Amino acid sequence: MNKKIAIGIAFVVLLAVVGIASSSYYSTLLEMQQYRPNMSQQILDINLKNGSPILGSENAPITIIEFGDYQCEACYHWFHNTRADIIDNYVETGKAKLIFLDLPFLGRDSIVAAQASYCAEDQGKYWDYHTTLYNFQEEIDNGWASKDRLVAFAFNLEMNLDEFSDCIDGSKYNKRVKANYDEAVKQGAEATPTFILISPEGVAKKITGAQPYSVFSKIIEPML
Amino acid sequence: MNNLKLVFSRYSYSILAVVVFVSMLIPLSILSEFIFTEPFFIFHITEVSSFSFALMLGVCVMSAIVIPMNVYRIRTLQKSTSKMGGSVIGSIIGASAGICSCGPIGFSIISTFGTVAGTATAFLTNYEIPLRIGSIAILCLVYYTTTRSISSECKIS
Repeated sequence: MNKKIAIGIAFVVLLAVVGIASSSYYSTLLEMQQYRPNMSQQILDINLKNGSPILGSENAPITIIEFGDYQCEACYHWFHNTRADIIDNYVETGKAKLIFLDLPFLGRDSIVAAQASYCAEDQGKYWDYHTTLYNFQEEIDNGWASKDRLVAFAFNLEMNLDEFSDCIDGSKYNKRVKANYDEAVKQGAEATPTFILISPEGVAKKITGAQPYSVFSKIIEPML
Repeated sequence: MNNLKLVFSRYSYSILAVVVFVSMLIPLSILSEFIFTEPFFIFHITEVSSFSFALMLGVCVMSAIVIPMNVYRIRTLQKSTSKMGGSVIGSIIGASAGICSCGPIGFSIISTFGTVAGTATAFLTNYEIPLRIGSIAILCLVYYTTTRSISSECKIS
């Protein structure tokens, strides 16, 4: 009898958690839909000034914005399976530019890692550091992105360690990362990675998740 | 094997198995980001995630076998629901493990419940493979006990 009660209670608790999370998800979704009636048709107003440096040509007609978290496994998969093809076929050919905005929500180290990437930008190594973080990603908050490891990554990239450590210790880019998070939420990103592809006319298309290259290609080609 | 034939020779239990399998596989594939519905419907498995998909398939198959067998046991043999709990727990563990914490559900849960939820979803993500293997083990155990129960009740040698 006790076993039945325990299973019953566990089931009710699980239902409650799922129920609350679902209602929160759908209310957020409704708010977003009210804010942006149709993302695929929208002329987008997005603040990119706090994001990464532009990867590719500034004059590239298409803008690809990635909202990501350095501890996100799906972002890792996208980085290692899809990104290289996009860089080769669209960024290096001058057809598209890539900008990364932080949506660090998975753990405490997500925020610090995002801040560290901008400390690396101070020394002109943002994209090298970004790549290093996705190459060395491990389990969420297991210490792979602790302060010591972040400094070690900077050491490997031959950066000025005193400057880098001061930047992290002083939380120099705390507000910038928070601004990126707020911008991501404002733009309707509710998962990582989320991508917004903006055509030369300013029309936006959203892709959620670590989708394959073929999906990006199908959207980008008609925009060119 | 006789027990499987006994249960699934009945049309309704075969349908129940298919319903359980499909109703687990499709939502789990979407939540684990093997299936994307927007902007196009696409099924995408990378080399790295193929083992995870195979384990998820294992959970769905075992649930589709064990749940109808337990329903048969309860309805036809008028047995207690005690063993049903194991199949439900096994299915829930297998289903919740590995649901991408980066996805919309993970984002909503973490946004709503904060750090505690973050730790819980991180646990489910970090230990996805052991949890799914554990879930399959629980379902195998339930299959074994259910088979024994049906055999003894029906006196199948």
